[in-house]
Amino acid sequence: MEIQNTTNQNDASVDINKKKVLVIDDDENLTSVLVDKLNFSGFDADFSNDSESGLKKAIETKPDAILLDVKMPNMSGWEVLEKLRVDTWGETAKVIMLTSIDQAESVAHAMEEGSTVFIVKTNYTLDQVVGKVKEVLRVK
Amino acid sequence: MSVKIKHLSISLLIIVIFTVPLYFATPYLINIFLNPQKYIKLGNFFVNYSVSDFQIQILSVSFYTLIVLIGYIVYLLATVSTRAQLLSDYQNKDLLVAKYGLEELYANAPIPYLTINSDGEICGCNKSALRFFGVLPEEILSKNFFAYASEEDVELGKKFFDFYKSDVPISKKEIRIRVKDGEIKWVSLSIFLTKDAFTQDKSGLVTVFDISDQKQLDQAKTEFVSLASHQLRTPLATIKWYSEMLNSNQLGKLNEKQKEYIDKVYLVNTGMIDLVEILLNVSRIEIGTLKIEKQPVNVSEIIDSILVELASQIDKKKIMFKKDYNSTSTIIDSDPRLLRIVIQNLITNAIKYNKDGGSVTVSLEKGFGIGQSSVIISDTGLGIPKEDQDRIFSKLFRARNVKDVGSSQSTGLGLYLVKSVVQALGGSISFKSEENVGSTFTLGL
Repeated sequence: MEIQNTTNQNDASVDINKKKVLVIDDDENLTSVLVDKLNFSGFDADFSNDSESGLKKAIETKPDAILLDVKMPNMSGWEVLEKLRVDTWGETAKVIMLTSIDQAESVAHAMEEGSTVFIVKTNYTLDQVVGKVKEVLRVK
Repeated sequence: MSVKIKHLSISLLIIVIFTVPLYFATPYLINIFLNPQKYIKLGNFFVNYSVSDFQIQILSVSFYTLIVLIGYIVYLLATVSTRAQLLSDYQNKDLLVAKYGLEELYANAPIPYLTINSDGEICGCNKSALRFFGVLPEEILSKNFFAYASEEDVELGKKFFDFYKSDVPISKKEIRIRVKDGEIKWVSLSIFLTKDAFTQDKSGLVTVFDISDQKQLDQAKTEFVSLASHQLRTPLATIKWYSEMLNSNQLGKLNEKQKEYIDKVYLVNTGMIDLVEILLNVSRIEIGTLKIEKQPVNVSEIIDSILVELASQIDKKKIMFKKDYNSTSTIIDSDPRLLRIVIQNLITNAIKYNKDGGSVTVSLEKGFGIGQSSVIISDTGLGIPKEDQDRIFSKLFRARNVKDVGSSQSTGLGLYLVKSVVQALGGSISFKSEENVGSTFTLGL
C-alpha cells in the first residue's frame, strides 16, 4: 500500500528547535486546541483571536510560520495577508491559510496572495496540520 | 362582389345619363344642324341635299351605339384601374396592419428594446427601455449604448462593442448597466444585427432583460450556502480536533471506557462532517451555484490526495488497496474540485461498504478524446441488490443491504451527488454489481 502516512507519533522528539508559530483565528476554541497541539509537537506557538492585533503581533514577533484564518470579523485573512506582504519581513513570511470553505476561488486567491498552502479545517486532522507546518518550515 | 356591382351601376348610370338625353336629342340635333334649309354652304355654293327620316334614325342608332360603347369602355377602364387600386390597397392595408402591430408590440413590449446604429449610438427605444433607464427619449437618443456599462463592467462593455463592430451577435450575455441616478442593474444582453435592405447600413436590435432580482436571489442563495458552510463546519472542526487531542494521549492516558467514548465522539463527528459536506454540495447543485471551472487536471494526483485523507479508514478496515495507474499520463480537462468530490465519494463508498480485510482497486484508463478517459473503482464489498440497482442514483435512496449495516453511515445522497456532479461535468457514470461479491463503478471523463 502506497498511502502517505502523515501521522507522527513522536512529535515532541523531532528537531523543531522551538520554531515560532503564530495562529490568527477568531474562534477561541479552535485556536486553543491548535496552539496546544503545536506546543506539544515542539513548536513555540502563540495566538491571536483578532485579525488586527494578530497582524501587529506577527510583524512584532516575526514568527517562522503563521496559521491564518480566512473568515474573521473586521479584517479578513486575505486583508491581513495583503497588509503583511507590504511589510519588509512579512513579504517573505510563511503563511498557511486556514479555512472552513473548500472553494476553488479561495485556493486561487491564496495563490494570488503568495500563499500556496491552504488548509480546509474539517478535512485535516491536527496531526496533518502539524505535518503541513513542518513541511512549510522544512523541519522533520 | 359588391364592388363589382357598384362599378357596374356607376358605368350604367354614366351610360344612361349621357345616352338617354342624347338618344332623344339626336334627331333634333341632326335636324337643327342639317335640316332647316336642307342645303350645305360650300364656299359660294349651296348644295342641296335631303335626309330621309330613316337615315336620321340610322344615324341616331349609330350615335347611341357609340355612346354605349364609350360607356362600356369607361366601365372596363374603371374596373381595371379599381381592381389594381383595390389590390394594392389590400396589400398596403395588410402591410399597414402588420406594421402597426409590430410598432405597438415594439413600443409596449415589457422587455426593453433599443435600436442602435453602426456606431453603437441609440437611435430608437421602446417605453420599457425608457422606464428601465429612467430617462426621457431625448436623454438617451444618440448616446452610445455600450457606454452604459457600469464601472465594474467597462471592459466587458468595450468587448461587446468590439463584437458588435465585428458583426458578432451577442446572445444572453450578463453585464451590469448603469441607469439613472447611478443605479446598477444586472441585465441579460442580446444584440441582433440587421442590415437596411436599400442602404446596407448596419443596425442592431438590443434587448436588455433585467435580471437584477434573479441575481440578488442567486447572491442570497450563495451567501446562505457559504454562511451555512462556515457556521456548520467550524464547530465540527473544533470537535474533531479536541477529540483527536484527547485521543492522542498527549494530555495523559485515557482509560478504556474514556477512549471508547472519545472514539465514538470522533466517529460521529466525522460522519457529521461528511454529511454537512454532502448536504452543502447537494444544495449547491440544486440552487445552481455549483460553478464549473475546467482546467488540465492530473487525475492520479487527485486520487493520491484522497487516499491520504482516507488513510485512517483504510487502515482501520484493513483494506487491501490497489492502485492500477501511473501518474504521468492522466491529465484531463475537468474541474479539479468537482472531480475530487466524485472520486472521493466513490472511493469512500468502496471502503465504507466493504468487509474488513476486503480489497479496493482504482484504475485509470486514458483515452484520446473527451469522455474517453475513465476511472474504475472496484470493491469486494456488499454489492447492490439487483432489485435496487435502477434506483441507486436516486436522491435519499439507500439499498436494502446498506440499511442493515448502519443508518448513520449512509445518507442516501452520495451517489445522487456523484451522478449530479458527473452530469454537470459532462461525463458519465455506470456500474456493475453483485450482492455480496462487490461493485465496480466506471467514471467516464
